[in-house]
Amino acid sequence: MHLEADEERMAIEGTPAERLSMKILKTLGDVYGADRLIPIASAHVSGASPRTLGEAGIEFLEGFATSAKVRVRTTVNPTGMDPDRWRELGVPEVEIRAQERIVAAFAKMGIEPTFSCTPYLVGNRPKFGDHLAWAESSAVVFANAVLGARSNREGGPSALAAAVIGRTPDYGLHRDEDRMATHVVDVDVPMRGYRWSLLGLHLGALIGDGVPYLRGVSAADSDLKWFGAALAASGNIGMFHVEGTTPEWRQANPRGLPKVSVTEADLLATKERHTSGVEPDAIGLGSPQLSADELRHLAELIERHRPRPRVYAFTSRAARAEAGDAAKRIEALGHVVLVDTCLEVAPMDLWAKTTATPSGKGAVYLPTLCGQKVVLDDLEELLRRFA
Amino acid sequence: MRLVGRTVVAGLAEGPVLASDRPLSLLGGVDNETGEVRDPESPLRGERLGGRVLVVPHGKGSTVGSYVLYALRKRNAAPRAILVSKADTILAVGAVLAEVPMVDRIPVDVLRTGDRVVVDAAAAIVDAPDLVERDVVTSFLEREGRILVVRRSEQVGSFRGKWSGVSGFLEGVDAEAHARREIEEETGLTDVRLLAAGPVVRSRGPDNTVYAIRPHRFASRAGGVRLDWENVEYRWVVPAELAGLDAVPKLRAAYEATLG
Repeated sequence: MHLEADEERMAIEGTPAERLSMKILKTLGDVYGADRLIPIASAHVSGASPRTLGEAGIEFLEGFATSAKVRVRTTVNPTGMDPDRWRELGVPEVEIRAQERIVAAFAKMGIEPTFSCTPYLVGNRPKFGDHLAWAESSAVVFANAVLGARSNREGGPSALAAAVIGRTPDYGLHRDEDRMATHVVDVDVPMRGYRWSLLGLHLGALIGDGVPYLRGVSAADSDLKWFGAALAASGNIGMFHVEGTTPEWRQANPRGLPKVSVTEADLLATKERHTSGVEPDAIGLGSPQLSADELRHLAELIERHRPRPRVYAFTSRAARAEAGDAAKRIEALGHVVLVDTCLEVAPMDLWAKTTATPSGKGAVYLPTLCGQKVVLDDLEELLRRFA
Repeated sequence: MRLVGRTVVAGLAEGPVLASDRPLSLLGGVDNETGEVRDPESPLRGERLGGRVLVVPHGKGSTVGSYVLYALRKRNAAPRAILVSKADTILAVGAVLAEVPMVDRIPVDVLRTGDRVVVDAAAAIVDAPDLVERDVVTSFLEREGRILVVRRSEQVGSFRGKWSGVSGFLEGVDAEAHARREIEEETGLTDVRLLAAGPVVRSRGPDNTVYAIRPHRFASRAGGVRLDWENVEYRWVVPAELAGLDAVPKLRAAYEATLG
């Protein structure tokens, strides 16, 4: 990979963090066949909870932060808990102290304390054609497919390196050729609500790696948030197209590609494959974090159905501020609205053994990261069934 | 034996191999204090990475796993080098953070746990001084879209009863001339035209032997095959059928290597 003069300077004479960041970017560029670095509009870093980072990651971040400063706007993923609520929710103090070290390291680097997996809803909304270095697979797929920005599925460390240099290697989803469709998906079933999560789980597992091109459906951005999160959780996928809907569908070139059709039986089998529990002791919402609109809708549904298990609604600080009244109504009925954290990085195992959720991404990670049995179903159906 | 791959992270290292044919997850899969493999899906479970040359197809799992290698390095429990068939972001970034030499595009199934290797990652060279290569010439004859496969007799020295291309140990240095001789001896076909010679495909044999297969693809005008004692049966198959045969190791890989 060719380096510009200023990049060579950072690689050789830069701060320790710049030198290491350049080494990471140069290595990835060479591995993936990039011929240059390109400027990015923003970075988004993952790995912000004690459980995902471990002591190893925390030590690294603290060392890195002594000389690291981000050059572009950089946001960060959810932490492991709501900093205002941990004591009442029984989170051990040792986890809080570890969390504080992580938060301090990110602050020192100049990273905005958004602690959100939906950066595109909390002010870091990319424009069409922006190049990004985002970690957090659900946000990457949303930025690429729905907003027409361009990011590979970065890891925590590579997103940090790109933030410090302000550039990323030019390969993969930064390039037109890798954004073309690889599979045509004929959706012959009605789509609404959590069925988008089922479709994402199904296609991610089926396609594994590629760019699906959906026909026969129309979708709102909020549907595609849940679809993309599930797709990226069950497959190594960072891009999709919806004919007539997403911004790059006309360039997707779906002619002559392998075809996949989706049936009611496929969705049912997907639901069953991800259902391991029967009677939930919590209902977990988020993953990705709920938007302000979704919080308002949730308040109405909870007031209508009065579910028995406690609802843990995960959202961003910005969305809770915007939908403050809805959050109060939800909490008035004994449920909790948590900010700065999310469904599978929060310690759900302290609060439940079986969690019900409509989130496809949640259904993938709750068993492995939080030891949960899962009941996967439509939100209103869950609230009604467990009332 | 010398393998040549591609540099991921430069550096020199030497040590015993710890090899697995399964991808390895670092986060949750490797203890970041001791370097012990915990991944229940890995055949390396219970082994320690420290002081060994880790040989795996590629990494998997969370990208935060890169930090585990960094932590192991700080605790002197990191692998001495990493060899993979396909570099991925998790292991490549981990190797950078931990300053562990790393080479990719290595045929990892050729190496076994316990083999001694010397790695010069800047030159992308991996030497295994105890492994001995034997050159094998394998030819695929093509006619009307089909490929000739032969089943090895009970009289040959290795892989008895297995389906194969027309094969033999290389004698001399001219692989193509040797291939033509073998074809004439084993099939009686003489009117053949070389279409392609592929890069070497390696396969681990018994003990310290590594077969270095030099694949060739020829067009054959005639289809009347006359077998000698080395084979007992032949078939003209379409390429897709290669996968389903009870075949010698790497038969399909050797054929695909001739496709460029």
